[in-house]
This record gives sequence, C-alpha cells and structure tokens, in this order.
Amino acid sequence: MAVAEAGQQSSSATTVDLQDVRRTYHLGEPVHALDGVSISLPAGSFTAVMGPSGSGKSTLMNMVGCLDTPDDGEVTVAGQDVTALSGTERAKLRGTELGFIFQQFNLMPRLTAAENVTMPLVFHNDIDEGRRERAETLLDRVGLGDRLDHTPPELSGGQRQRVAIARALVNEPSLILADEPTGNLDTGTGAEIMDLFEQLHEAGRTILMVTHERHIAEHADRIIHLVDGRIEEIEQVGGER
Amino acid sequence: MKLTESFRISWRAITGHKLRSSLTTLGIIIGVGAVIVFMVLGGAFEANIAQDIQEGNDEPGMWVNTQQQAGGFGGTQFVDAAIYTESDVAALESIDGVEYVAPEASLPVAQLNHGDQQRTGGFAIEATTGDRLEEDITTGESFSADDELVLSAEATDLVEGELGVGDEVELSYEDGTSKTFTIVGLVDDTSSGGNNLIPTAGYVSLDNYQTTVATPDGDQERAYSSMIVTAESAETLDETQEATLDYLQTESDAAQLKQDEYDIRAQTVDDAVDQIGDIIDQFTFLIGGIAAISLVVGSIGIANIMIVSVTERTREIGIMKAIGARKRDIIQLFIVEALILGVIGAVIGVAVGLGIGYLGATGIGWPMVYPVNWIAIAVVIGMTVGVLSGLYPAWRGARVDPIEALRHE
Repeated sequence: MAVAEAGQQSSSATTVDLQDVRRTYHLGEPVHALDGVSISLPAGSFTAVMGPSGSGKSTLMNMVGCLDTPDDGEVTVAGQDVTALSGTERAKLRGTELGFIFQQFNLMPRLTAAENVTMPLVFHNDIDEGRRERAETLLDRVGLGDRLDHTPPELSGGQRQRVAIARALVNEPSLILADEPTGNLDTGTGAEIMDLFEQLHEAGRTILMVTHERHIAEHADRIIHLVDGRIEEIEQVGGER
Repeated sequence: MKLTESFRISWRAITGHKLRSSLTTLGIIIGVGAVIVFMVLGGAFEANIAQDIQEGNDEPGMWVNTQQQAGGFGGTQFVDAAIYTESDVAALESIDGVEYVAPEASLPVAQLNHGDQQRTGGFAIEATTGDRLEEDITTGESFSADDELVLSAEATDLVEGELGVGDEVELSYEDGTSKTFTIVGLVDDTSSGGNNLIPTAGYVSLDNYQTTVATPDGDQERAYSSMIVTAESAETLDETQEATLDYLQTESDAAQLKQDEYDIRAQTVDDAVDQIGDIIDQFTFLIGGIAAISLVVGSIGIANIMIVSVTERTREIGIMKAIGARKRDIIQLFIVEALILGVIGAVIGVAVGLGIGYLGATGIGWPMVYPVNWIAIAVVIGMTVGVLSGLYPAWRGARVDPIEALRHE
C-alpha cells in the first residue's frame, strides 16, 4: 500500500531532482566523485543508495543534503535550485526542508535529548512555545518518551539514533537523508531502527538512505547502485515485503 | 537565532568545561581586579589627604600665594616672593566679606635660647596679626606688644623642661642680632598655611617682620610672600575668593611686583584638596594603566581558549551547520560565549578588586572609596575584551566546512 501511495504522490511532486550532476575533486590527479548522475526522488519514495567505498555515495548525499554544490549539472531540492542559492539560503533549506540522520548519530553532547530534537528549530523558528511538547511527542513516537532530559552520553547507541530520528522530523522535512543509519548499531537495534524507517515511509515521508548492507537497503522501494561516480543500476525492490 | 538561545547553548559549553572556563576568566578577573584595586587605593589616599586638610582648617578661609608653572608632575610649584605689601593687606581687609587678612611671614630665626637650654633649627617663628590666633588660644592671651610671643601647644617641648606662659625665650636671628620675648599664650593651631614643611613653633607681632620692598608708588613697605584671607562666612567664601583674586590680580601692588611668569593664587581648602586630588589622580591613572595591561593579557587568554574550543568543537559546529545553522548563528554562539566569560570575569574582578582595595585601605587607615565610574568602565571593558577576543575564533568557527567537520573525529 505504501508503494502505491508513493507512486501516486510521485506523479504530483518531485522532492529532489538531479540532472547530469558532476563533481570532481582535485587531489593530485582529478577524481570524478560524481560523473553525470541524474536521479529523481518522487515525494513519498524510499530510495537506498549502495556502492563500494569511493563510489560517490557520500558526495551524492552531500549534494542532496545541500552541503555541497556540483561543478556541473542541476540539483533541485524542494523546488529550489540549490546551485543558485547562497550559503545562508542553503543553510535555511537544510534547516527547514531536510532532516539528517547520520551513522555517528551526531547529537550535541551537552544538550538533553529534548534540546537536541528541537535544535533545528533554534536556527529557523522564532517560536518558543510548544517546542518542549513537540520534542515530547516526537521522542514518544520513537519510544523515548521517558528520556527527554537525558544527555547523549547517558543513552545507548540505539537510543541516540532514535533521538537523531526525532530531530530529523522536528521541522516536518520534505526529505529525510540517512547516512548508514544502522552502521554503528548491533543487528537487533539496527532492525528496530529500520522498523522506524518503514513507519516513516508508510506515513508518506520521502527518504534517501545510503548503506552498504544489502538487507538494510532492501527496506527501500528501489536501490541505486553507484560505481565510480556513475549509476550502474537502478533496482526496484518489489515482492520482498 | 535568538539571543536567549545562544546564551543557553553557550552557557552549556562554558559549564561543560568548568576548569578551562575558570582559568580563562581568571585572566580577566586579575586584570579588572588590579585596575579596581588601584582605583580604590588611589581614591582612598586622596580622600584621606582631603580629610587631613579639612580637619585642620575649619575656618572659611583661603591661602593667598604665588606659583609658577613647572615641568613634570603637579604642573606648578610655589614661589617664595615677598610681593604682597602692607597696602595690599589693608586693601583686602576693606573688601566686603573679608573677616581678616593675616600675612604669613617667617622670621629668619637661627636659634632659640631658654635659660641655658638651646634649640637650633627645625622650627619656624612666624610674624602675623593677633586676630588670627585669638580663636585658637588655649592658655593665656594673644600678643599685644612686639616682644610677646604665642607658643604653639605642640612646641612646649622645644627645649628640655616644659615651656609655658610667663617663660622668657631669646631668639637669635640669622643676621647675628637677637631679641628676648615673653611667652604670653599657647595656641592650638599648628596648621597655618600650606607649604610650611617646618612646624611653626611660635607667633610674634608683625612689627618683628623686617622684609620691605619698594612699592610701585615709590614707598618702602613691608611685604609678605603669602597670607591667609578669612571670609565672614562659609556661604560667602566663593564670592570673597573671587573679590580677593580680582583685586590681587589687577589693582594690587603684588600684581605689579610679581614676575610675569608668576601666578597669584587664592586657594581655599577645597581648592587645595582638588589640586592634590589632581596630582594623585594622575598617579592613580598611570598605575591603573599599567594594571590594564593585564587585561590585554586576559583577552589574549580568552582568544586562545576560544580558538582551542573551536577546534575541539569542529564536529559540533558541523552538526549545527548540517541541521541548518547559518554562519552568523555560529558567530553569535562563540561571541556570546566569549562575552559571558568576559562579563563573569569583569564582575568577579570588580568584586575581588573592591575586596582587596577595602582590606588595603582600611588596613592602612584610609577611608574606603567606591570608584563607581571605574566599576562601570571595568565591566564595559570586560565585555568589549570578551567580544573582541571572541571575534577571530568565531569567524574561524563560521568557516568550518560541515562536510569536513562531520568526518572529523
């Protein structure tokens, strides 16, 4: 059902669109991190990116995450041409339209779970009231309703990643970006986190996830295989679920 | 990003590194504290001197003297020039509001003999008017003849065996002559004028004062190098001072007799206090300036710690940038952090400075003074130093590339 829903939405809206994106690093000899990549992420879709290390996965994530800009080609996120935006405008786009989930969790170590969750609102939302309630609702949804005032060092890896997921949702993003979200977790905890991703997907969220583990990637609708900065194959994941 | 938010987050960063933050603020504490200590001590010293001067001078008077510009600290120095003639004294006495005029005239006395006891040097005998002493006479009366002497109450031990009313003393002048005086009274007032470094042991009638000058009118008249002019009341002192100066600087013999570079001054007690205060202020300022150097050192300390802090928190900066922080948000965070450190340092520094200043001033016996201006200045400087030393680290932080930062361990 989720797939059908995603299909419906894709006809109406495209969250991310990459057209012939190129990015070259000059480290001695030029390395083509992305060599003409074109991808479209329909609203509500769940896409996984796989590939060996050095295949351009991280560069792709940075492009979609508005942290990097292409040397050539076009990146459109939530209807905005990223290459035409200033640094400040890109920061605003990240803060209002994107939700990041990292392998290293990347929480602020001295802030509480609730404060970490509402951190994106600090930069781009002037409303104070309801923030605590919002953190409470989101942490409750990821199963941490009783850990609001714990700081990251007081939480387990799985719990930290749940806080990070709640943080990624706080600004009602158009797109959730996940970089190896289960990479630092044991198999059991990883599976719980992937259950959360499926719930998000079913709720209509658009997700782009980088992973090198096949069984994690199979939670997505489709898998993009990257090799040497090019798309080698786009695999539709169908009947598994 | 709202300021309150940056305060909350910066405060967490500061309290998260308690030892480091304390050591950082220590630089500012010492700097501000040192400045405040010197300001308190300088102010207290000044207040103490003012108190001393005022205690000995409860009459609404002024001291007329001659000064000239001098190089170096203080600006002016006293000149011993006998330019105030008898005519000037008489003219001043006729000015409205002047109670009496007492010329000050030291006699060139070399030795005092009492029986077989002698005292050579270390004291002064002044010729003055009887009126000036009357109020302060404790025993006996003021002199009424030119061979009578009023002894200072503090000079009764000038020679062995106590001097008292009725005793005879012989004064030997520097020119070899001598004269015998009878002590007729004791006076309690020893602080007569301003520049008497040698204590005045006794007072005699002006008839004993021999210094004369040729006046502009061609007469020979007695002339004095300074005098005390007393006003009828404290309320009219300012007007009397103005009238006195006005006369002396325009119509008086003194105005014509003085050298061009000399200035005639009429200083009330308040003026004297102000003048000494100015000199002390300059010293205080100089020492305070030296103390302020430690503030500069303190600010370098803050900058240093903030740079370390930026490097250490590269990853956190990366996280914040990834989730939407703009450059100015990062700058704001670090400047607020430096500002908090600066303000805390300044506030504690003021407290410590006042504390040490209080202990020092009361320890020496000076009155405590609160340098309100300097407290305000110190806090403002603390904040400025905080912000300035936070600028460069903040700029470095804002430049952090989130991609690199997130890879940073």
